[in-house]
Amino acid sequence: MIEQICSIAEQILADKTVDVVIGYEAGTRGAVRPAFIRSAAEAGRLVWNDACTHNLANYVREKHVSPKKGAPPAKVGVILKACDARALNVLLRDNQAPRADLYLIGVACQGMRQNSGFAGRDLGDLELRCQDCAERVPAGCDVVVGEAPAAGVAPASAIARELDRLAALSPAERQAFWDAEFARCLRCYACRQACPACYCVECTAEQLEPSWIGVAIRTPEKRFFHTMRAYHLAGRCAGCDECARVCPVGVRLDLLNAWFRREIEGTYGYRAGQDATTPAPLASFVPSESLDL
Amino acid sequence: MPDTPFEPRIVGFLCNWCSYAGANLAGTSRIRYEPNIRIIRVPCSGRVDPLFVARAFQEGADGGMVLGCHPGDCHYRDGNYYARRRFNLMHGFLDFLGIDERRLKIDWVSAAEGKRFAQVVSQFTDQVRDLGPATVRQPAVLGG
Amino acid sequence: MNFITDAQLRGWLAQLIAESTVIAPRRAGEDLLLYQPVEDPDAICYDFGRSTVSPREFFLPATEALLTVERVRQATAGDGATAGNARVAGQWEVKLTEPHLQHDQVLFAVRPCDVHALTALDALMLKEPADAYYAERRARTTLIGLACEQMGPSCFCTSLGLSPDDGAGMDVMLYRADGGYILEILTDKGRVALASQAPVDFEGSRPQRAWPEAAYQVPPRAVWTERFNDPYWASLAERCLSCKICSYICPTCRCFDVRDYTVAQAAGYQKIERLRCWDSCMAEGYRRIAGGHNPRAAKAQRLRNRFYCKFDYYPADFGPLACVGCGRCVDQCPVNVDITEVLQDVAAR
Repeated sequence: MIEQICSIAEQILADKTVDVVIGYEAGTRGAVRPAFIRSAAEAGRLVWNDACTHNLANYVREKHVSPKKGAPPAKVGVILKACDARALNVLLRDNQAPRADLYLIGVACQGMRQNSGFAGRDLGDLELRCQDCAERVPAGCDVVVGEAPAAGVAPASAIARELDRLAALSPAERQAFWDAEFARCLRCYACRQACPACYCVECTAEQLEPSWIGVAIRTPEKRFFHTMRAYHLAGRCAGCDECARVCPVGVRLDLLNAWFRREIEGTYGYRAGQDATTPAPLASFVPSESLDL
Repeated sequence: MPDTPFEPRIVGFLCNWCSYAGANLAGTSRIRYEPNIRIIRVPCSGRVDPLFVARAFQEGADGGMVLGCHPGDCHYRDGNYYARRRFNLMHGFLDFLGIDERRLKIDWVSAAEGKRFAQVVSQFTDQVRDLGPATVRQPAVLGG
Repeated sequence: MNFITDAQLRGWLAQLIAESTVIAPRRAGEDLLLYQPVEDPDAICYDFGRSTVSPREFFLPATEALLTVERVRQATAGDGATAGNARVAGQWEVKLTEPHLQHDQVLFAVRPCDVHALTALDALMLKEPADAYYAERRARTTLIGLACEQMGPSCFCTSLGLSPDDGAGMDVMLYRADGGYILEILTDKGRVALASQAPVDFEGSRPQRAWPEAAYQVPPRAVWTERFNDPYWASLAERCLSCKICSYICPTCRCFDVRDYTVAQAAGYQKIERLRCWDSCMAEGYRRIAGGHNPRAAKAQRLRNRFYCKFDYYPADFGPLACVGCGRCVDQCPVNVDITEVLQDVAAR
């Protein structure tokens, strides 16, 4: 697979289809990290393994594609797994990334492991989202490397089980659970920075005029930030779980966003990133629908 | 400090054209209703970001209301349809966080429904009074 | 030198817990070790490497009120007016409060790197005019250190001239031994902390370990100056998320933001608190000034600044390096920006 990925990258860099290929490379201390390959000669740096968990769609909305004054926009090639491609679809639909300047290299994925992307950590079990994944092959790409597993995919419901476990607690226990999570939070905003769907130029959480939250790093403010972020992601979160992965104190943001995904899918039959055209459920409506209030 | 019985603080987001006018009508008709509600006028229920309601709880509200025009009657044609979708999620989300979802009420009150406004607000205030003070604003023990 | 058994240590900690706020390492989750206030010696994790987040929050809290301003009382006519302080009926009295620590602090099982970080911070924070809030916490905290028995995979304190079992800056230093700890009282504060205990004399000496040779070299300042405009910084920063994790968990990072907020009270908005909170130079808006200009708008400028602050600017201004080789940023960066790799790359170019 990696030979194919490298040769595609080499080709599209050499013939100037793209100016940069965003992929994965080996970092220090056994870590895999995002790579920005700018010449065909460097394409050999790319790797592909079960630690390639980062959502590279996050980098596509940056200055790589937005032109400097007077300069033409950069053409960007990017390696995407199925979850990453869904996140990219959200960006495309929201006009946050110009499709014409992108070359999407989809890669069929066998699942990524916990502890990926960090220096010096042993890889763990499959990530929860990967255990649950029925997709494995990204859609909407210019080229796809690899195929779905021949034996088919038997997704688990690891995340649903965690949500059910929380639902079975009493409200007071749930509030205590979330309070303990938010108390640990450092309000570093790593979750927001790692999220492809958090593309606001000025985040509501950092607005000072008006001051929605304030700068204090205290539990009530942190609870408010996470509640608000999850709500703003409702119907737009593709479930890449980067937020939970990057969190230095292990806040279960994956569960917060998973709750919204489950509700949205149940009520509207919609999965964020299922395509690049369907409007977001919370930005649209059906007059005749009857919703529980 | 004398021991005063708990009176909930309710924050209500009322749309200018329907529910706020309905509240006005309740007033001019001298219809009595529970006075706990603090009304914030918005142009349309579609203007209400769930963030506003969360902030109300954050600032110490014990209950939050969003009252808009009846579906189909929105002054801006479809603002309340967006509100309907947005707030459909909020009860469940509050419950997921362990916050009593009965502290939130979304409803439709037209400009002609002064009596209904009074009923909806009084009923909700009684409901929140029974629930007691909200604990959303209190910091947790660790590192709060 | 003294010796304290495991049981005696528990007893000592229980005594300290009764008298002050004891902050000690606790297992807070899988792979998550945090310094937190403890109520029970059994809640402490005694066998650990290094905490996930540095204990600097007990000297520079993530959020602290610098002062509160309240309107507290409406004076009535003839109410104790004195010359120069005449009160008029109906006038509010304004009360300013500077919060102080409620209790003395004890930081238990703190590592030499983290205490060296405090010493490095002192060079700035205690320099006249000293930061009164930091100074109070420093003065009122007893540091009970725990020497490292080995270096972690990402530790590089020895490359910065430090040592994993150095008691410098501690009030009491502990070295793990069979059945307990070799204990060294280093300051009067340490002596006072142990006043209620009677650890036995210990005739031996502290364990001497041969630490592995320093793996990295810190390039001298001239090299940093030379490399300032190198395209290396832009390519390094491409994968950076500006996520702030590195600066928030770092024991020497100290940047903050100060804002005033009104606090809702029963009588309405009559109270204002001035809050100081952590901020980070990695944030996009950190260096934005009034008027909107942002000299570090680009990610590459911000990431470069992080390393220059640690190895060039801070030592130039205050003396010590602003890095103690704890390795937390190496462990926690989600995109593998590795400070040890940067040191090697800067030296090599």
